Amino acid sequence: MLEMFLQESTLFWTSFSSTLTLLNLTVIMVAVVLGIIIGAIPGLTATMALALLINLTYGVEFDVAISFLLGIYVGAIMGGCYSAIMINIPGTPAAAATALDGFILAKQGKGGLAIGTGVISSFMGMLVGIVMLVFLTPFLYKIALKFGQWEFFLLAVFGVMICGNLSTGTYPIKGWIVGFLGFFTAMIGLDQIYAFPRFTFGYLQLKGGISLIPALIGVFGISEILIVLQEQIPYKILGKIGRIVPSWKAIRSLIPTAIRSGLIGVGIGAVPGAGEDIGAWVAYDIGKRRSKQGAKYGTGCLEGVAAAETANNAVIGGAMIPLLTLAIPGSPPSAMFLAAIWLHGVRPGPMLPIEHPGFLYLIASTIFLASVFMLIYGLLLAKPMATILKIKREVLMPIILPLTVIGAFAGGMRSFDIKVAFAFGIFGYILRQLDYPMAPLVLGIILGPLADISFRQALMQSRGSLIPLLGRPIGLILLAAILLIIYSGIRRTLEYSREQHRPNTLKPE
Amino acid sequence: MEEKNNFVVAADLIMGVLLILFGGSVVRASLKMKVYKTFLDAPGFFPLLLGIIFIILGTIIAVSAIRRNGYTQMKRIFTRISFTELFKSIRFRRVTALVALMVLYIFILIGRVHFALATAIYLFLTLFYLKSTTIIKIIIISIITSLAISGVFTMFFHIPLP
Repeated sequence: MLEMFLQESTLFWTSFSSTLTLLNLTVIMVAVVLGIIIGAIPGLTATMALALLINLTYGVEFDVAISFLLGIYVGAIMGGCYSAIMINIPGTPAAAATALDGFILAKQGKGGLAIGTGVISSFMGMLVGIVMLVFLTPFLYKIALKFGQWEFFLLAVFGVMICGNLSTGTYPIKGWIVGFLGFFTAMIGLDQIYAFPRFTFGYLQLKGGISLIPALIGVFGISEILIVLQEQIPYKILGKIGRIVPSWKAIRSLIPTAIRSGLIGVGIGAVPGAGEDIGAWVAYDIGKRRSKQGAKYGTGCLEGVAAAETANNAVIGGAMIPLLTLAIPGSPPSAMFLAAIWLHGVRPGPMLPIEHPGFLYLIASTIFLASVFMLIYGLLLAKPMATILKIKREVLMPIILPLTVIGAFAGGMRSFDIKVAFAFGIFGYILRQLDYPMAPLVLGIILGPLADISFRQALMQSRGSLIPLLGRPIGLILLAAILLIIYSGIRRTLEYSREQHRPNTLKPE
Repeated sequence: MEEKNNFVVAADLIMGVLLILFGGSVVRASLKMKVYKTFLDAPGFFPLLLGIIFIILGTIIAVSAIRRNGYTQMKRIFTRISFTELFKSIRFRRVTALVALMVLYIFILIGRVHFALATAIYLFLTLFYLKSTTIIKIIIISIITSLAISGVFTMFFHIPLP
């Protein structure tokens, strides 16, 4: 036990000290500032930024690439609170819950305090996430080592279905449809076992399959451009920002909320594809019910801002847990991060601590440093951000398209990938107009090959029998979870249909 | 809001039917795929299951939409008056124009002219259509942005342009 502790400590300090180079610190700082600005501007999201920037990191050193992408991720999630508070439009979906109290505080002349609370809460959330990441991940590696083909297949199906359930609220069927469409997208191209062309219709370019990054750029980049520009929604920044840093007494009073919301955020982050926005809403909702200040939520309560912002940043640490142990992203931005580390030849999963022993601590150290810069620059940029938010979206969003084109092209140097990004952009826009979530689509594309190969190999090994599954406890737990999700999803769908079908009657308050 | 809900209900019915048809065609294509050793490890097995899942989910969503008066809403939406209103709506016209400009940029300009020129043309036309700012500023933004993007990605990141 002592020997293991010493070994892990050595790995930790080695990884941490490797992040303390001048180049690395500069990259993290620049990335965090860029991420904060991206997150603050409505229409630009963390997922979009990461999707666009992944291919650009291909030619740089691995450590620098990791620092850059994580810096953007951390900064962008926090950055969304600026616009949520100042103009009641969340800069990223993760800040939607922040706007409920944040904007009211801004109207009361306390916008600066709300922003300061948001930034400090985000930092506290990051700390909770990092601690849980460092302590939980080694345990999960041990569990993941027991995974066989059946477990990986069931995990892939579970991931897509739970993501579908969580992303659609009352109508989970839509999330499942999109998730399985993601699975189908991953089937296009040469089959991984026999190299048989599937759904290529004779097109040579389709034999290589649909590349992940162009599809993600289309769904989160091009469709977002259309969503933002489809209507002209003017906004203006209310009043003055005022004092930013809350008093020490106010910060101390937020610590219980921060711990509760941080743990919720980590838990939500560990669920495949759930995302920062779900973490924020769940933490806000629970805070409203459980906190002594709960009745004040929605009336301009700093604790409401703290609950949402702590959770959405804690999700980052939580999302890294399934990503590192099972190669399953816990949120859409972490899905981009997964694509990035694949690009650099790192394969997350149970073998990661053997192939790259200090990788967990490298990630944790980088996230910690990014959080420190986020705290500093988050407070410093509060007042200048008002100027940045004045940039019209009608000027900014068209500029994103050329970036998406380069981002889609850079990976494979194929103009076909640009067309794939465009097609997914239009597809994503139409689905979003019809209330279909996009997170399950992303997860489906990522997990599709895993589900396909694992399922067929499991059946080959068992000669077509399902009986070996009965002797695998983890597999049975996953199967039970899937059946529970199906039952709950169908029940909610029927309830929703009945509710919508009921004639309109006045209901008693 | 109610109008949007009615539209979504009608769209759910159409989506359900399309999904059933799509699932059926996936099943058909999967059954035609070559079987090497056994059907269970054949390339078509997993897509076959997906096709069946699409048919089931399509049926559920179509039935749910019908229970929510989806058929009635569909008949109401697919009328000449409704289509005329749709084509006249600002949102529809904006999205159509933006998509057309994207098609011009991606399918016609890129590959035929230099990326910087294609980008400048696209940005000028789009910013002009959206009335983003004054014409002088639109010209300046289009030129500077296209040169900056091209320069940064080729010289700094060493990424060839499409």
